[in-house]
Amino acid sequence: MVEERRILYEHLDVPDINTFDVFRQYDGYTRFEKAIAEYQPEEIAQMVLDSGLKGRGGAGFSTGEKWSFVPRDIKPCYLCCNADESEPGTFSNRYVLEKNPHLLIEGILICCYAMGIETTYIYIRGEFTLGKKMLDAAIKEAYEKGYLGKDIRGTGLNVDIYSHPGAGAYICGEETGLIESLEGKRGQPRNKPPFPAVEGVFRKPTVVQNVETLCNLPFIVGNGVEWYTQMGPTYADTRFDPPKPDANTGTKLYCISGDVNEPGVYELDLGLTCTELIEVAGGLRGEEVKAVIPGGSSAPILTHYELDTRLDFTSLTLAKSMLGSGGIIVMNETRNIVDCLLNIMKFYAHESCGQCTPCRWGTPWVRDIVQRIADGNGRKDTITRPKFGVAENGRWGDTGETEEIYEDLDLLESVANNIANVDTMTWNTICVFGIAVSWPAVSYMRKFRPEFEATIREGKLVTLPVAEATVPPEENYAYQQRFVPKEFADL
Amino acid sequence: MSEELIQIETPFAFNAENQREFDELIGRYPIKEAAMLPTLHLAQRQAGYITPAVMKYVAELLEVTVMKVKDVVTFYPMFFEEPVGEYVIRVCHTLPCALRDCKVVLDHLKAKLDTDIASETNLAKGTTADGKFTLMKVECLASCDVAPVIMVNDDLYKNLTPEKVDEVLDNL
Ligand SMILES: Cc1cc2nc3c(=O)[nH]c(=O)nc-3n(C[C@H](O)[C@H](O)[C@H](O)COP(=O)(O)O)c2cc1C
Ligand code: SF4
Ligand code: FES
Repeated sequence: MVEERRILYEHLDVPDINTFDVFRQYDGYTRFEKAIAEYQPEEIAQMVLDSGLKGRGGAGFSTGEKWSFVPRDIKPCYLCCNADESEPGTFSNRYVLEKNPHLLIEGILICCYAMGIETTYIYIRGEFTLGKKMLDAAIKEAYEKGYLGKDIRGTGLNVDIYSHPGAGAYICGEETGLIESLEGKRGQPRNKPPFPAVEGVFRKPTVVQNVETLCNLPFIVGNGVEWYTQMGPTYADTRFDPPKPDANTGTKLYCISGDVNEPGVYELDLGLTCTELIEVAGGLRGEEVKAVIPGGSSAPILTHYELDTRLDFTSLTLAKSMLGSGGIIVMNETRNIVDCLLNIMKFYAHESCGQCTPCRWGTPWVRDIVQRIADGNGRKDTITRPKFGVAENGRWGDTGETEEIYEDLDLLESVANNIANVDTMTWNTICVFGIAVSWPAVSYMRKFRPEFEATIREGKLVTLPVAEATVPPEENYAYQQRFVPKEFADL
Repeated sequence: MSEELIQIETPFAFNAENQREFDELIGRYPIKEAAMLPTLHLAQRQAGYITPAVMKYVAELLEVTVMKVKDVVTFYPMFFEEPVGEYVIRVCHTLPCALRDCKVVLDHLKAKLDTDIASETNLAKGTTADGKFTLMKVECLASCDVAPVIMVNDDLYKNLTPEKVDEVLDNL
């Protein structure tokens, strides 16, 4: 049985850890003090780079690398802490904000010191009223104790932290949407480049970082890079010569929900498998696992054939899915995948910001097709189309064969792929919300095609037994839907 | 919408406490417009919903056009342009909550309050006749581990069943 390794969450349940005095008893702010006493800002940035820390908010981009893009000579530079946690299935940031906000403040202080930042905005989800209250109280206390404000602890360092409430829009979690929203506008994402690191909030360089990412910083500084990197697997990316280490270091706050006996947040080393995680979460509620969503609702679904997939950034990318925000949703044999997809597509249709035509119109269109199928009115006509899959040259493409497919399934795939094409990983939209829509739409349909087909054929929602609802990987092109470089796949 | 076209019956202004909070807020940002969301939250708390008078007032405070304020208000689901009940009940209905039977909770609330579910453009539809409750569906409230959940104004209620919903409503 895999053991939990509580680092970020270690003191979460200590009574009154949200107050300065108690936090202080548990080494609070000593890591920040160590940082300013023992290291130069550049050394901290180097440590974060060496630690291999990857962003926990969704994209999984190397934090140290992101910091290296920030021009050091343009001031002011801002830090935006992304506390807009709204990806369905994700709830780890909420507990940090409600129970241990000083840990976040300490993380922010370390980031500000490393990057020469004086102003931080914490963009906190509008619905997090309790979280905001606790956070505001902690910020106030930190000011009173001299850990925020001007000339912190006599070091000449100035840091201000302000909390900024959102107002219920999911898209404000996207970093440029967040920036627009912070500037007092509609939260409509910006075209990239320029990336926020170069031109972000108020047109100044901006570091956008998730709550969990920032909470890792005190431990990297406090315990050292070596201690940090021994947690979690590091792979070798052989596309580079010499192979580049591909780090999945540290722990992850896995949020597990759905059909498990003890849903909740479990802090574990990156790299355990789906099966292990379900076991840690009290086992499955039901007889059999039908499907697992590994990284929030935007991530492509995994079938029961893929339960040994390791839940880390690299392994899930190779499985053509993603770790995303670490929100794992488990579904048992009683669940209907068409119905699940309908629920998710309603979410996306509601949350599209409406800026780009493919997303604004395509997302409700996908929803309507799935609704039609679920209602039993799926179009029964079939069409013959070229069969796509791994072609002779080993790449994704036309296999030279043809296949019969229900008109609505072809339409579903085509509309989704015109928002963002999951095979070529190109999107016709401003932000990657487009991918977040078509990834679930296409992956659910392809992997659980028998269930979709039965539903259309029978004219009502049909829930097939697990073994029949999906096609084995060898026979199913869904598993090869994205071209993965061979060398990388051989890891 | 130009300013002359807005019919303003009762003008709006912050009370002393909110004015103090606003004065503190505005100093946080290099441009005034950035204080938009927190200012609107303050105003909505005081006025109940965002009336044209509120928009005009906020626009003047932040030195932007009324149109810009309206633009923002219409974008975010948490700002209401119509009156809502004393208690706003938000029922989460996204996948993890759906897997834990949020529909039962929603149906129970509908029957108990004898109201439909509000839509973003028609809040009255989900508001009870006595103006006490407004029932609406919302997306994931980031509490999927304790699903199904609802929020009543600022408070979250977890692991709900119809019986627990009754208890929650009785204790309001
Ligand atoms: C549609 C969409 C929604 C997102 N929502 C969130 C969110 O709720 N919280 C979050 O931290 N990051 C979210 N992200 C990821 C952010 O854009 C960004 O990558 C992240 O905040 C960077 O911080 P990190 O490097 O620490 O992960 C979202 C991205 C997209 C495309
Ligand atoms: S992809 Fe969708 S959410 Fe993203 S900017 Fe375009 S319309 Fe908005
Ligand atoms: S789905 Fe209801 S709280 Fe996440």
